[in-house]
Parts: sequence; C-alpha cells; structure tokens
Amino acid sequence: MKLNIEGLLVYFPYDYIYPEQYSYMLELKRTLDAKGHGVLEMPSGTGKTISLLSLIVAYQKAFPLEVTKLIYCSRTVPEIEKVVEELRKLMEFYSKQTGESNNFLALALSSRKNLCIHPEVSALRFGKEVDGKCHSLTASYIRAQRHSTPDVPVCRFYEEFDAVGRQVPLPAGIYNLDDLKDFGRRKGWCPYYLARYSILHANIVVYSYHYLLDPKIADLVSKELAKNSVVVFDEAHNIDNVCIDSMSVNITRRTLDRCHTNVDTLQNTIQKIKETDAAKLKMEYRRLVEGLKEANVARETDVYLANPVLPDEILKEAVPGNIRTAEHFVGFLKRFLEYLKSRLRVQHVVQESAPQFLKDIFDKVCIDRKPLRFCAERLQSLLRTLEIADIADFSAVTLISNFATLVSTYSQGFTIIIEPFEDRTPTIANPVLHFSCMDPSIAIKPVFQRFQSVIITSGTLSPLDIYPRILDFRPVTMASFTMTLARTCLCPLIVGRGNDQVALSSKFETREDFAVIRNYGNLLLEMSAIVPDGIVAFFTSYVYMENIVASWYEQGILENIQRNKLIFIETPDAAETSMALEKYQEACENGRGAILLSVARGKVSEGIDFVHHFGRAVIMFGVPYVYTQSRILKARLEYLRDQFQIRENDFLTFDAMRHAAQCVGRAIRGKTDYGLMIFADKRYARADKRGKLPRWIQEHINDGSLNLTVDEAVQLSKHFLRQMAQPFRQEDQLGLSLLTLEQLESEEMLQKIAKIAHQT
Amino acid sequence: MSSLSEEVLLVVKKVRQRKQDGTLYLMAERIAWGPEGKDRFTVSHLYADIRCQKISPDGKAKIQLQLVLHTGESTTFHFSNESSALKDRDAAKELLQQLLPKFKKKANKELEEKNRMLQEDPVLFQLYKDLVVSQVISADEFWANRLGDINNADPTSSNNKQEVGISGAFLADIRPQTDGCNGLRYNLTADIIESIFRTYPAVKEKYSENVPHNLTEKEFWTRFFQSHYFHRDRINTGTQDIFSECAKQDEKGLKSMVVQGVKNPLVDLLSLEDKTLDEGYGFCKTFPSTSNSNRTVKESSNSAIIKRFNHHSAMVLAAGSRKGETPADHASETSSTDGNSRDSDFFQPPVKKVKLQEVIEYEDLQRENRPKTVALNLKKSDRYAHGPVPLQSQHYTTSQDIINSVNYIRHEMLNYKPNLTQVLSSTTASSAIAALSPGGVLMQAATQQAINQMVPTEVQGELKHLYAAAGELLRHFWSCFPVNTPFLEEKLTGHLEEMLQTAYRKFHIWQTRRMLRKT
Repeated sequence: MKLNIEGLLVYFPYDYIYPEQYSYMLELKRTLDAKGHGVLEMPSGTGKTISLLSLIVAYQKAFPLEVTKLIYCSRTVPEIEKVVEELRKLMEFYSKQTGESNNFLALALSSRKNLCIHPEVSALRFGKEVDGKCHSLTASYIRAQRHSTPDVPVCRFYEEFDAVGRQVPLPAGIYNLDDLKDFGRRKGWCPYYLARYSILHANIVVYSYHYLLDPKIADLVSKELAKNSVVVFDEAHNIDNVCIDSMSVNITRRTLDRCHTNVDTLQNTIQKIKETDAAKLKMEYRRLVEGLKEANVARETDVYLANPVLPDEILKEAVPGNIRTAEHFVGFLKRFLEYLKSRLRVQHVVQESAPQFLKDIFDKVCIDRKPLRFCAERLQSLLRTLEIADIADFSAVTLISNFATLVSTYSQGFTIIIEPFEDRTPTIANPVLHFSCMDPSIAIKPVFQRFQSVIITSGTLSPLDIYPRILDFRPVTMASFTMTLARTCLCPLIVGRGNDQVALSSKFETREDFAVIRNYGNLLLEMSAIVPDGIVAFFTSYVYMENIVASWYEQGILENIQRNKLIFIETPDAAETSMALEKYQEACENGRGAILLSVARGKVSEGIDFVHHFGRAVIMFGVPYVYTQSRILKARLEYLRDQFQIRENDFLTFDAMRHAAQCVGRAIRGKTDYGLMIFADKRYARADKRGKLPRWIQEHINDGSLNLTVDEAVQLSKHFLRQMAQPFRQEDQLGLSLLTLEQLESEEMLQKIAKIAHQT
Repeated sequence: MSSLSEEVLLVVKKVRQRKQDGTLYLMAERIAWGPEGKDRFTVSHLYADIRCQKISPDGKAKIQLQLVLHTGESTTFHFSNESSALKDRDAAKELLQQLLPKFKKKANKELEEKNRMLQEDPVLFQLYKDLVVSQVISADEFWANRLGDINNADPTSSNNKQEVGISGAFLADIRPQTDGCNGLRYNLTADIIESIFRTYPAVKEKYSENVPHNLTEKEFWTRFFQSHYFHRDRINTGTQDIFSECAKQDEKGLKSMVVQGVKNPLVDLLSLEDKTLDEGYGFCKTFPSTSNSNRTVKESSNSAIIKRFNHHSAMVLAAGSRKGETPADHASETSSTDGNSRDSDFFQPPVKKVKLQEVIEYEDLQRENRPKTVALNLKKSDRYAHGPVPLQSQHYTTSQDIINSVNYIRHEMLNYKPNLTQVLSSTTASSAIAALSPGGVLMQAATQQAINQMVPTEVQGELKHLYAAAGELLRHFWSCFPVNTPFLEEKLTGHLEEMLQTAYRKFHIWQTRRMLRKT
C-alpha cells in the first residue's frame, strides 16, 4: 500500500499495516526531518525492520541530496541477511508499483569468512585464519613480488577485481551475501573487496556493528562513508557493551610472550632490510617527519570518520623523534614490554587510573606520554614498510601498541586493573592487566558526530532515557511503542512462591537453598505437562544452571520432566549448543516437545528466536544480574555514578532487566504468535524491577499475577493456552491491530495511533 | 486340520487345573491340558490367543503358571509334582517364552488392525455392535471379507504405519526399588530393553557380543546397572567395566554429531557473530576456565550430566524419527562434510533462502492469497438443497384468469348477504378457526414437517443402524450367489435366512417402539 506519512509518499510492501508501524514511521520521519538522533523502542515481531526500510528508502527517493545513504547495522549474520531480504521485498514492490526498474544499490557486508570464494581460503574454519590467509595472498608487496617472481601465489579473484572491478560500479540491485558470492564467481572478482569498495557508492549498506564501532575495523572499512547518511543500530539494547568491548584491552603473560617474539621478528627484519634496502627505511623516516598530515587534512575536510584511537591532536604533529627510526621504535617497544612484564609481577590486586599509570611508567622507565600516543600509528607504518606477510601473527604487538595509544590519550573513562590470579583459583598465578573502557560514549562519539541521523532501536530499550545518558548524545525523538493486540497473546506471570510458600529467588543468599531449587524444578515440571511443544528456560548464569541441573538430576526431577518432554541444555561450546538447538527444534517440530535450558546473556538468548511452537513458554529463573564481584564492573559502576549520576543499583537493575526482557521476548515474534512469559523470582514484583521492563510487556502484567504460587501460575497458564489455541484469523485482527489503508485514514484511527507512541 | 500331525514339544505331568490333576501339552501352535485318564483336552489355547503368561513368585508354596488371553480370561495351571514342580514350571515357562512372541506379533497385528478399523470407522463399529455383539453373525464371518478387502485394496496403509517412538523417560521407568534387604531391584520389561538398545546401539552391540557366551542375560543387566555408564555422572569409568567402551563410543557419537554441524543456518551459533573481537580485546568475561586441571570433580561431573542429557535426548529423537534411514543418512552426510566444503556450500543457499524467507514473512500483513471464492448468494436455499425438481405438467393460471377470479370474488362479496338463520354456533366457529390457523388440523399440509423433525434423533439413529445392518446382511446374502459350494448353500438356507429374520424382527421392534413413543 502507499502511505502518506506527513507528506512523504511511502511504499509499504504489504496490503495491511499494524498501527504501531505507522506510528513508528511518523516518529522516524520527524527524526530525519530534524536531522537528529533518535531512540525508538518497538516490540519485536511488529515489523520494525520493514517500517524502517520503507520510510528511509522513501525519504532517500524524495530527498536524494539530504540523505544519500542508509547504513543499517545489526548484530548477527542471520540478522543482516534478514534485513537484506526484507529490503529485496520492498524493492520488488517498488518496481511493481512504479513500473520502473530499480536504481538502488544495496548490499550486505560481512567478514571475509562469509564472503570469500577462494577455494582454499574459504575452506578455513575460523575468521581469523581466513583473514590472515587472505592478507598473505592480497597484500600489496606480495603482489609486487609477483612481478619479479611469478610463482608467488596470489588470489586470482582479488587480482581480477583489482584489474577491472573498480572501473564499472556494481550494477544497481540488492545483494545479499550469497548474491555477492554468486556475482563474484560469475565475474571472477573477490566479493569481499568488491563489497568493501561498493559500500562507498551504495545507497544502502547493511553490516554489523563492529564496522562502525570498533575503531580498528571502522578505520579500514567505514572511514569514507558520506556524512549525510542515516545510521540505524538495530537490536541496539546492548550497544554500550559493544562500544566498551571494542575499546578494552586485556594483557596476560601469554600476550607479552607472544609480543616478545613479535618484537624479535621485527628487529631481525629491520636488520635484514637495512642490509638490502636501506632506502626504504629512509623513506619511511621522511614520511614520519612530515607527520600524519594527510589524515589530518582528510579529517578536517570531513571526509573521514574519526578514529577514537587516533585522537585529533596527534594528527597535527609529527611522530616524535625518539621513535622515528625503526630501530629506536623497536627499542622503545622493548622497554615498554619489560615495564609491562614487571607490572604483571604483582602479588595483590592493583587498580589505577591512566594518569597514574603514565606517571609510574615515566618514573620507572622514562617513557614519555607523547611517544606512547603515537605507538599504534608508528607500528602500522613500520609493519607496512617491513612488508610483513601475515598481520595475524602480529596481533600481540598490535594489541600492546593500541593499549599504549589509548592509555596515553584518554585520561578519563578508562581504568587499569591488574589481577595476579583469578578469584576462583587464588593458588594459580595468572596475572592479567585489564585496561577497561568504562565509557561507551568514547567509541560511539565519532558516529554521532559524523552522521546526521543515528537511530537506535530495539524491542527492548527500557528505560529509554538511560541510553542517551550512557552514550552521551542528545536525541530529538525518544519513543516507546506498544503492541496493539486483538487478543492478548502474551501472558507475563510473576511466580514468587512455591506451592509450599517458599519464596523463590535466585539471590545470592538462597542460591544453594534446596527448597528453592526444588520449587524451581517443580515449576518446570508442571509447565512441561501443560505447555505444548517447546519451552525455553533461562538461568542467570552458566554455573548456576550447572548446579541446578545437577541437583534436579539427583532429586529425580529431570527424569519426571523427561516423561513429558525431551531436555536439551546449552553448553559453553558453541558447536555443541548449535546441535542441541537444532535437535530441540526438531523435537518441537515432530510434536514430541522439548525443553531448552539456557543462559541469559548467552549466545542463545542474544541471537536465536523461538517463533511459534519453538517457544510457547519462556521461564526466567531468577533475575539475571551481572556478576557483581568483578572489579571491572565495580569500576564501571563507580564511573557511571560519578560521571552520569546513575546510581549503581539503577544500572544493575537496568542491565538485569534488559537481559530478562531479551530472554522472554524471544518467544513472541509477531501478533499471530503467542507465549507465556514466566518470571520466576519474587523480586520481579517490585516496582523498580517491573518498571524497567519494556512497556509492551509491562502493560500486560496485572496486579493479580504479581506473586503467584506455582499452582496458581499453572492454572492461569492452562487458561491462557486454551484460549490461545483457538483459531485466530486475519478478520479477528482487522480494524484493531491490523489496518487496511481506508481504516488507517479514518480520523478515529489516527487519534488512536497518536496514543501508541509513548514519548519520554 | 493340523491337529493330526501336531508336534508335541513338551509334556508335563501332574499339572492341576481347577483342582483336577492332568497333563499339560505344549504343541507347535497351541497349549492344551487334559484331565488325567481322559483322552481329550478340556483346555486348549492357541498361542496366538495368549496375551501373556504370569508365574507365581519364587518363594510361594504353590507353583503356578497363569495364561492371560486376549479376551481377558485366564487359565491357571498348578504344578504339583513335588520333586520337580519348579523345574517343570520353568521348562514350560521357557518354552512359552520362546513360542509366544512368534505368534504374538501375528496375532497382535491382526488384532491391532481390526481395532484400528473399528476405532477409525464409527459406522463399522456400530455395524460390528449390531451384528456381532448381538450375535447375528459371528466375528469371523464379519471380518472375513472386511479384512480381505482392506488388505487387498491398499496394503501400504497397514504397512506404512508410523514407527512407535521411544519414551524420553524410559530410564526413569526403571527406577530401582529397594527390596528390603540391602539390594536394589530394577524392573526391566521387553519394551525398556528395546528402548535401551535403540537409544544406545553401543549397549546392544555389547549385549550381542557377550550375552550367550560370556554372561547370562541377568548378569549382563546387573552389570549394566552397576556400571558408571548407567549412572549419568560417569567420570571415572574403570577400564575393567565392559561399558566403558560404550561411554567412549557415545562420546564419539556426540562429537561426530557436533562436527557435522547444523543444517539450519539460523541456529548455527558458530557463524552467528560476524566479527569476533581479536584476542585480548574486550570486556573480560569471566569464563569458567575450560582447562580441566583447575575444575573440581563436582564441576566436571555436572558438565558430564549436561552432555549426557543432550546426547540422550538426541538419541531418543533419532531413534524415534527415522530408524531405518539413519545409517545411510549419516553416511551421506559425513561424506559430504568430509569432502570439500565447496559442495556443501552449493547445497546450503536453498535451505538458507527458505529459512530466511520464512523468518521475514508476516503472514497477517499479507492478503490471504488463496484463490478467491465467490460467496454463494442464494435466493431460494431450499431449491439449492433439494436440487432441481423435475418439470411436471402444471396448470398455469394466466393473468387474465386471476383478474377474472378477483372480479368474480369481488362480485360475490358485493352480493353477499349473510344468512343469519344458518350460522354456526360460536364453539364450532372457534374450533374451525383453530383448525384453520397455523398448526391446526387443516393447516398441517401447509406446514409440512420433515420426517427428520418428527422423529427423535435416537430413534433415527437406530433406524440408520438397522438399515446399515440389514444392508450388510444383504451383502452377505448376495455374495452367496452363485451357490456353488455346499458351504454357501448351507449358509444361504440356514443361518442367513435366520439372520435376515433377526434383522427384520429388530426392525419390527424398532417400529413398535417408535409408535409407542409417538403416542
């Protein structure tokens, strides 16, 4: 249908529309109009992606000069592919409606592992291996060597692409990962480099967060993306952790050892080159004297996305003299390395700030702050000059140099913690230096600064106001949308007591309590008897799950559950869990029914959907608080308190509740879907916890279901399931939660829709 | 017919039945008992009729063997030979144990088939009740042509039955019970053994390797239950345990399953992440360290339990879903994964495409795209229900006729003069009005009541059954022609006629009942 969103003609590739989709598009349009950032929360399964795409594509078509590009970031590979497929659908609708062929170029970009078509390289299992192998075949000096000695292996796909691939831009169309591969095979071009090259002139780019948020990758891939792009972070409820992850560094003894060998190799190579090709090193020296002018000019003219590892100040200066020659730099690195080794030789936990660390290093080994800041850049330059074949081997020394740059650049937002051993095993020495980022805004700041509109959206972003605070930006719109339902297809229940009135809770004091464990088992057993097909149960941590499973096994609870359903359990091993997941789905599919025991914050809870019969009930055992004894977390909480005035408890609860909401939200994937959401912990009943659940879940928790016993929950569930099992047709939804164009345009409906968006 | 050449497999003397001494004979197809000194059997059961045998517990004074038939009846034999009673009984038991399953399958199949037919087809069931239960014809006769028909018509339907799966909790069903004197008793049934074998092929292998030669069956299972293999927290399976190898094989099986990977790319957690952080970067997650050295025994036993559950569930699922196909399927899968990953790459996209399409589909946002039907708009629904009525010669009235008659009536009315001396009495008048108003005696023709509204439903149902039963009998009747065997002739003249009589009588009873009810 064709919609009129405040004067913008939007093609929507379906015959019907959910009211909240219309409302979502309205808000989105306003955000784009204002050229500002937005935070939008809309329940999963209400067609968020297609609404986003429809509106932004329409906007691009209407104002081609104001929005040139859509950068759509998602989290996982399947998610990326899903987005591209939805886009394909939209574009097909466009060409059907307008009759003209589509002139849009949209493509997905992923790592080499998912795009490589080289027969040997793509056969490698791990992403890192693929990257390294690819690099060894495509690096510029390798190819230069080939000119002199033709038997050096190179990648023919890359050669072909390099020869002709850049002359003609990729023809307009929608390219998913497989389409890119097909295209690459047909033309004999490398799809990965083709995609990386094509994102510069594509209208829509779909890739993962890391390509924008991780400075190491962003610098390579996304640096030159146009300023007037719209950036969308979908499934963004965890975006702060992604930011922090990309800026944090951990250094162990092993890292230092490997770094040591790296430095030795560097030294040897320098020695060799000096004998054969001294001019090369001289050239590098000259370049370094001139400084990073090139990069500086680019950034000032606003061509590049800023790199948080490469702060503005150093671009204006030349590399300091004491690390300019290659030998001096290697000597410098060695000194730094020795210092780090000495720091790891501690007997007790040390925590210090970056300035303290810098002072200490100056006092002890006379390393100044300034050369440290240039470390990362200097190393890159050296590696390029030395024509190191396999970059992957040098990951350790790269890590150290990045650490050096970061620690000397940011006096705030980071903390250094040196732990001599793991908490659980105090007898085994395993010193680790955590350099941990506590301020997610550092990594994401360049994105907010550079691009005109950044949309942060997810099914669970409650409470909305916390994201702008921790990411430090000012949104023009913040809205949470509810789910209009013709029937209440979700049934959140808070089970606070066992049948024997024992309070259920996963809190630390009662963690080992047999009564609680038994009652949890009882809950699962009773549910397994009444819920059809699949049940997914989430525990707060892996260790907790292991203990509970063991004691359920001893008490014979699992055996009784097996009478009703098969049991599958998540393990730390991803391959094993994938197998369990597939078998779980098979068991749901063939009617036997199954239970999946899983962990909040685990891979399953973050990336797998349990649509329809794959998840008729989700049980959340306990409140998934993060492990609070960790020093890194404590430091972060302190930082949040001091910098953003967010109280520790508020943040912890917020974090726990967003994960809980993620877990239970896995089961509902649309309006025709239905599922039970059982929160098995009495603490969920408290207003501070409940209030942090997304609005679309919160509004279905009624006062009667706040502190149920297991039996009561079973009764309510039975009733709910029986109602939901009745046939549900399109007509039942029409006019309520599903609208035709005419219904949408009625005055009454527009008023109703205005109420869906909940502005904060 | 085979009774002449029946092979007697076992003869046991001094067996009492109903307090009578006698001899028990186990023959090729039946078990029989005859009282002492008599030449005929008073008890004779085909093995196929026997559902199961039960024996008295070991400690009991009376040594007995009970046979339970499919019909629910049972016969008990008491072995009374003082010296060798137990031995006799066990010999009989052993032999029966071997014989019964052979016949059981056949009998069961037939019985199940009949049962299934009766359950699936309510009409047939009713017919069965009417004809067989009320003993109009015998069950054999009833089934004689039914079963034949079905078997000839579509033999696939009966063969193509779904494989019975395995209960997920079959191990739970062998919960040990303490026998009161420091021992444990496990209850094993044939079904459970079958389940164990199907789920854990390694155990079956062990069984076939060891059982007749090295161990007795009992010993084998005792060892099984004692071994760590059975107890799920198997960590330290000793090397002397015959099941330690099974554990290893299971491990291997699990590994191979894991290596094979998953077909559905949406659940493949390995390829979920696009770009993992390089080593050394990231918010340090407190992973439970995977090195075995610093894991406590308890922890590793816990994770062993988890592994076992996954394996167990996967095996149960596999055993249930496609028993026959598994080996071939496995082979093909492994070969494709062992080969270059290129061709698996070629196979992958379609699955992926389909799955992706499934996921992005919003069925309720789309208009239903089944072929559009036109709503039936009936002006006269009864015409539709009854079908076209054959054209009858009708006397049409033309419009002129109507006008004429109206004129005539008007004329009559104008000239109407009440004859006041000849009026009806008020009672007669009111009764006449009553008779003429809807529902009255004279108006019945107008409000024609269908027969199905006049007769209560149960009476109707009865009539339907009678009709079906009579039809069945008639079918039997006509199937006797041409009468070319004496058997058919006898059937025709003898009991078929009688049957039809019965049927007719039944109808008569029904008729009178109906009349009774009506008045």
